[in-house]
Amino acid sequence: MRILLLLAWLLPVTGMFAQSLAVTGTVTDADDGTPLPGVTVVEKGTYSGGVTDLDGQYTIMVSSSKAVLTFTYIGYKTTDVATGGKSTLDLPLSADVAGLEEAIVIGYGNQQRSKISGAVGTIDLKDATSVPVLRTEQALQGRAAGVQVTQNSGQPGSTQSIRIRGTGSLNNAEPLWVVDGIPTGGIDFLNPSDIESISLLKDAASAAIYGARGGNGVILVTTKKGAKGQPAQVTYDTYYGIQEPWKKMGLLNAEEYAILMNESRASAGLVPYAQLADPAALGEGTDWQDALFQRAPMVSHSFNFTKGTATSSTAIGGSHFAQDGIIGGEKGRFERTTFRISTQQDAGDRFRIGQTVNFTHIERNALAENNEFATPVVRALNMDPVTLVSRPDGSYAYSELIGSDIANPINQVATSYDNWMTNRFVGNLFGEYDLSQALKFRSSVNVDLSLGSQKIFLPSYDLGIGENDPNRPAYEWREVNGLIRNENKWSNWQWENTLQYDKDLKNGDRIQGIFGYSALYGNYQNIGTYRDSLNSNDPELAFLDNSLNFNEQAPNASGGFGESSYLSSFARIQYEIGDRYSMSGTVRRDGSSKFGANNRYGIFPSLSAAWNLTELPWVIEKDWIEFAKVRASWGRNGNADGIGNFDFTSVVFNGQNYTFGPEQQQVNGAGPVTTSNPDLKWETVDQFNAGLDVDLYRGRFNIVLDYFVKNTNDMLAVVPVPGVVGFLPAATNVASARNKGLELSLTYRGEKGDWDYDFTGNLSVIRNEVTGLGEGGTPINTGGVFGAGNDFSAYTDIGLPMAVFYGFETAGIFQTDEAASANAAQPDAVAGDVIFVDQNEDGILDENDKTVIGNPHPDFTYGVTTNLKWKNFDMSLFIQGSHGNDLFNGIFRYDLNTTNLPVSALERWTGEGSTNEHPRITHTDANQNNRVSDRFVEDGSFLRVKNLQIGYTLPDRIIDKMDIGKFRFYVSATNLLTFTNYSGLDPEIGSRGTLEIGIDRGFYPVARNFIAGLNVTF
Amino acid sequence: MIRKFLPLLMVPVLLVSCKQDFLERTPVVGATEANFYQTPEDALSATIACYNTLQQEVTNIQGSSGLKPHFRWYFGDVISDDTDKGGSGDGDDPQLYDYERFQGNSSGQMLLVEWQVAYRGIAYCNLALQKLPEIEMDEDVRDAYIGEAKFIRAHWYFNLVTTFGGVPLVTEPLASSEYQQPRATAAEIWSLIKDDLDDAVTFLPQRSEYSLNELGRATRGSAQALLTKTYAYLQEWESCYQVSADLVNEGEYSLDPDFGNVFTEQGENGSGSIWEIQYMNASGGNWGQQLEGTFSNVFQRARGQFNGYGFNLPTQDLVNAFEDGDPRLAFTVFQEGDFMGDRGEFTLESTGMPHLFYSRKYFNNASDEASFGDPNPNGHTNDRVMRYSEVLLFHAEACLNTARASEASDALEAVRRRARGGVTYNPMDPTAVLPFISVGELTMDHIWHERRVELALEGHRFFDLVRQGRAGSVMQAHLDDNFTGDNYTFTEGVNELFPIPSNEITLSGGLITQNPGY
Repeated sequence: MRILLLLAWLLPVTGMFAQSLAVTGTVTDADDGTPLPGVTVVEKGTYSGGVTDLDGQYTIMVSSSKAVLTFTYIGYKTTDVATGGKSTLDLPLSADVAGLEEAIVIGYGNQQRSKISGAVGTIDLKDATSVPVLRTEQALQGRAAGVQVTQNSGQPGSTQSIRIRGTGSLNNAEPLWVVDGIPTGGIDFLNPSDIESISLLKDAASAAIYGARGGNGVILVTTKKGAKGQPAQVTYDTYYGIQEPWKKMGLLNAEEYAILMNESRASAGLVPYAQLADPAALGEGTDWQDALFQRAPMVSHSFNFTKGTATSSTAIGGSHFAQDGIIGGEKGRFERTTFRISTQQDAGDRFRIGQTVNFTHIERNALAENNEFATPVVRALNMDPVTLVSRPDGSYAYSELIGSDIANPINQVATSYDNWMTNRFVGNLFGEYDLSQALKFRSSVNVDLSLGSQKIFLPSYDLGIGENDPNRPAYEWREVNGLIRNENKWSNWQWENTLQYDKDLKNGDRIQGIFGYSALYGNYQNIGTYRDSLNSNDPELAFLDNSLNFNEQAPNASGGFGESSYLSSFARIQYEIGDRYSMSGTVRRDGSSKFGANNRYGIFPSLSAAWNLTELPWVIEKDWIEFAKVRASWGRNGNADGIGNFDFTSVVFNGQNYTFGPEQQQVNGAGPVTTSNPDLKWETVDQFNAGLDVDLYRGRFNIVLDYFVKNTNDMLAVVPVPGVVGFLPAATNVASARNKGLELSLTYRGEKGDWDYDFTGNLSVIRNEVTGLGEGGTPINTGGVFGAGNDFSAYTDIGLPMAVFYGFETAGIFQTDEAASANAAQPDAVAGDVIFVDQNEDGILDENDKTVIGNPHPDFTYGVTTNLKWKNFDMSLFIQGSHGNDLFNGIFRYDLNTTNLPVSALERWTGEGSTNEHPRITHTDANQNNRVSDRFVEDGSFLRVKNLQIGYTLPDRIIDKMDIGKFRFYVSATNLLTFTNYSGLDPEIGSRGTLEIGIDRGFYPVARNFIAGLNVTF
Repeated sequence: MIRKFLPLLMVPVLLVSCKQDFLERTPVVGATEANFYQTPEDALSATIACYNTLQQEVTNIQGSSGLKPHFRWYFGDVISDDTDKGGSGDGDDPQLYDYERFQGNSSGQMLLVEWQVAYRGIAYCNLALQKLPEIEMDEDVRDAYIGEAKFIRAHWYFNLVTTFGGVPLVTEPLASSEYQQPRATAAEIWSLIKDDLDDAVTFLPQRSEYSLNELGRATRGSAQALLTKTYAYLQEWESCYQVSADLVNEGEYSLDPDFGNVFTEQGENGSGSIWEIQYMNASGGNWGQQLEGTFSNVFQRARGQFNGYGFNLPTQDLVNAFEDGDPRLAFTVFQEGDFMGDRGEFTLESTGMPHLFYSRKYFNNASDEASFGDPNPNGHTNDRVMRYSEVLLFHAEACLNTARASEASDALEAVRRRARGGVTYNPMDPTAVLPFISVGELTMDHIWHERRVELALEGHRFFDLVRQGRAGSVMQAHLDDNFTGDNYTFTEGVNELFPIPSNEITLSGGLITQNPGY
């Protein structure tokens, strides 16, 4: 958005006020003397002004000979010049190399970069040469210090989890998205190419104006808008890409598998499986990864139109994006179509109105993912290599060796029809009126309506050979087909009124203030239905009415409703003392229906200040310092978005049913499930931030350094109540956590001859620690992993980072039976079993011997971007990584004892001295070798060449002939190279809920993409 | 122009004036405690909610994500000499394996789920008992509801007192200041059980007064049966005799002539069924807390092609306990070569495991299952908690203990005669089975033996052994036989009860004390 909004209200309609004096002149670039068209020239303190023409010339009527003209132009320093009675005033305008005057979008306004006193990160997306991103969240990944973005899945359309300055809550730790001032649930609906810029409000002072919802940080998205007076511009961007898997896990082949399984059976005193009697004859067998993964295309078209007149501006955007999955192709297809129109009009010189309409249509086919039970990935990795994908007749085969959960993944994909369709409408209408030069009133109404339909068709199938095949495992047939249809509706509206004050005082100071009032309401409704016995197995014919049970009552229908509201008032005062000091104070009061009656309103204050050191004598002396600023802030936010609508009360729920009689009639029962908590309120986040902004060497080298301490108190946690209470305990505001961190961003930009280059790097170091769980609070166990003894793998306790890996420490392998029987703590162990450390040395191996075995939080994360330009060529390289984080490898279903295994199993213990690392393979596992232990914890550090892009822009002489503005084509590779020691399919693993971080349950890996694209501007 | 916009400036003022309503939101789906418990329909729903917990044999508990099992047969059978744990190996439910060998301690979740679910059930009963008297409705109906809630509360306390001994006595919903409760004595718990059951016997209708579609509701008979059992556990034999005699004489129940029919789907809520926890197969899904199916089917079915988990494996000792030719053995235990219903023939190969016996009483046919695409869906098989034959056997015990040997013999013979196929034992017939036991021969051992085989795998055995005062000898022999090479000990005076979950001791602020020996 930058300065455009400012322009929108500064820009006058020329000639509205009768003037007597005319001033004309030419504005040129101070460096090379070329004329600058489009520079705004305004008489300070009035509405009178104009814009330079293509030759940089302007004419303006001024009120008196003392008039001062203000020249503003994006990328150049805003300059005030007194006319001094002259009628001609030429001005060489200096470039703002470091972007000091860049208007940064902050909450409810914007502020010059040089004056900002909080910690605000920015990401510029409007440059078409930036990397094409499939999802908006991706644009943040590795680009801003203190922001960690991890994918929750590689499946097209999957969300990504974002943590701004660490995990600040045990509950909801996702930041608040605000698009053009509208808080939106997620960012799915927006086409990334509609976005102009993104601001990240990282410290509490910046986010405090979002009060009870700002605790996890705020992401402000500004969409593309036209500017007044701007000629019509049409851009068309398109790309086509191919995605492919970039890694395969090393698994046993059929022969190796057979050898190990025979050993496993023998060790348990069981006869070998007949099918595996002759391992050598089985050879390589089936490579299920090859069978599952495929190359998949993706394509994007987006179109933008912007135009301004003297009194209005318009932006229109449309896009279509389609991406198939590297598993299942179109069974994992994500399609997004967006349409957007945003306009603003002057209605007189003091009144403006504007409106934005977004419509988004999303269709997503999804395959089961990221659990260890029944997903294609976990099945492909666990399925024995002896079983064929399909029989000679083309029908899918089943495994005779593995029963529960692990079924033929290729058949699973073929019989999966899970479609989610969203139609979302986001609209905004605002009016803005200047009560005076300094004071304006704005009223804005936003609506957000989202309709989500889910259709899951469950076809009948049978992989058995002939009827009543006795060996057919239960997971390989479905006798009766069925159809699930769910309809969801989310409706939200917000009405917000603000008074904004902005005045340059005579002494050179500036005061800005805002007071606002906002009401927000949201509700959610859903209907779910199910019928079985459809008369066709064709998914195209899967409609509820096609059920053979049509005349019977619907066997399954459900529906619900929930609502919530917020009522908020807020105020901010910013005061700038010359160019030297700026300070800001904010307070917001939020009330919400989600809070308990005893705590209905919360107050969220903040203070921040910045000191511009540039004018200090010792700084001026050093002319290599262009700009230096120190800043500090303290603020308090709330985190309320994780609270359920009625969590404060003990709801009496229907459905506590019981069945009676031979016809198994269900009778409704009703009762509460949890205790109530009328004290329920937001989580409180207090944050202190200190920062330093330095620009060196005429702005070529920028340094931004931030240190923060973020304390979350009143964190909602469930403190266990004695079992005699009978009901589950309600969450209470008892827990606390701290995130401390250091963020560093460095930029260097320069040019030499035909070369333009810049380097940007960022580094974040964040330490997370739980500081309290409430009186009587107990550690929180999460991350149950079925393959590892169906036990918890993650643990949250005071003094530790959230959700560390927790289990048994191992100490090698028992080499002899004597050694095993000498260990009293493991009575069932024999030679070849794992030695677990009896931490408390009480001779019993139990819960008390579990200990921290890994930390999923990285020591540091980083991103490095390099942009090079040479003549008409451009190149960008983006590297991103994470260091020092652990991952829990829960991919293999050891509980099933006949699954395939990683190649490391070949190094199993086979006799005294064979290995001290990998246990014997045993069918019964009496020693529970596969219980949660450090054996499954791996180093998850990685460095990823996230993107490499090379583009070529047609030279002016050619495009001039073609009568177009710009023509660029490029090739790009995403996730080109990954360096990691992690053995799974992908080291970049997001979280599942807040307290399950970095647990690999057969993670759907991200694809490597190769893209060819085109940017055209007319 | 400014005047035109003045009304807009009023907007904040307007919002302020209506803010109280704007922020007051209450659930419309679901009610709050304050606005529920008003109508007769609410009263019924509150009463049915008392039953719901009975079905939660695999459920979520506080502090755990994931479902935890706490089957009655875990405690009654697996712990006892009748069955072994089974599963995929020793590591499959290791806590149960520990308790089976009397190596278990007070940590872990197996006992915690038992404790928490019992008190969850009690909490719904306490809530209903608190709210029902305030609801304006037909008094007889309300009394019956109160009887149901009291019966179910007694059911839970019975489980608690036999598993843990004296436990906290909670008879009303607790305020947050009352969450920490000390243990009551076992005698105080038994006293509440007797009081609740006395009321339940008074208030509850006979089974025949319920309609067919209400079968499964608590009845006067079920209260009488649990009271009989209570007196038997307390060895108050005269009272035991009186209550059981009432139940028998009122004639509401009779033995199904065909023992084999009792555990079929047709046999559910049959003529001899006194108290069955009801399950259904068509509950729309699986493996959730609020679904009305049983998991015993899946857990006890053989592995391999039978898609079960192969738990609760009958021991050779149990099989041997059946008298020669006792027809009940075939309906209790699957042996090699048997057909497991419509799921195929039981061979070691087909199960993939070396075990020779599988439990049959909770077996269900594949064709009886609802199809949800889940290979091992929870099943419909009702849990036969108390059967008429059990009451007859308690009655026999009571008679024998109160010098009514002839009546005792009659009661025992009624059970054996049905097992025999309804015929009188003919000593001349070489194929005749289950000899008649005359009054002269009759000893308590005969009755106890009959209990073991008649009620095998129905979750009674361990508690019977404790009640009969012979858990020490029987269990020690079982441990020595079953776990050869390892020295496991049943400590008398300790292992009759299970330890109180250490979690609950901590949460009680130390008010709850641990059982001796743990």
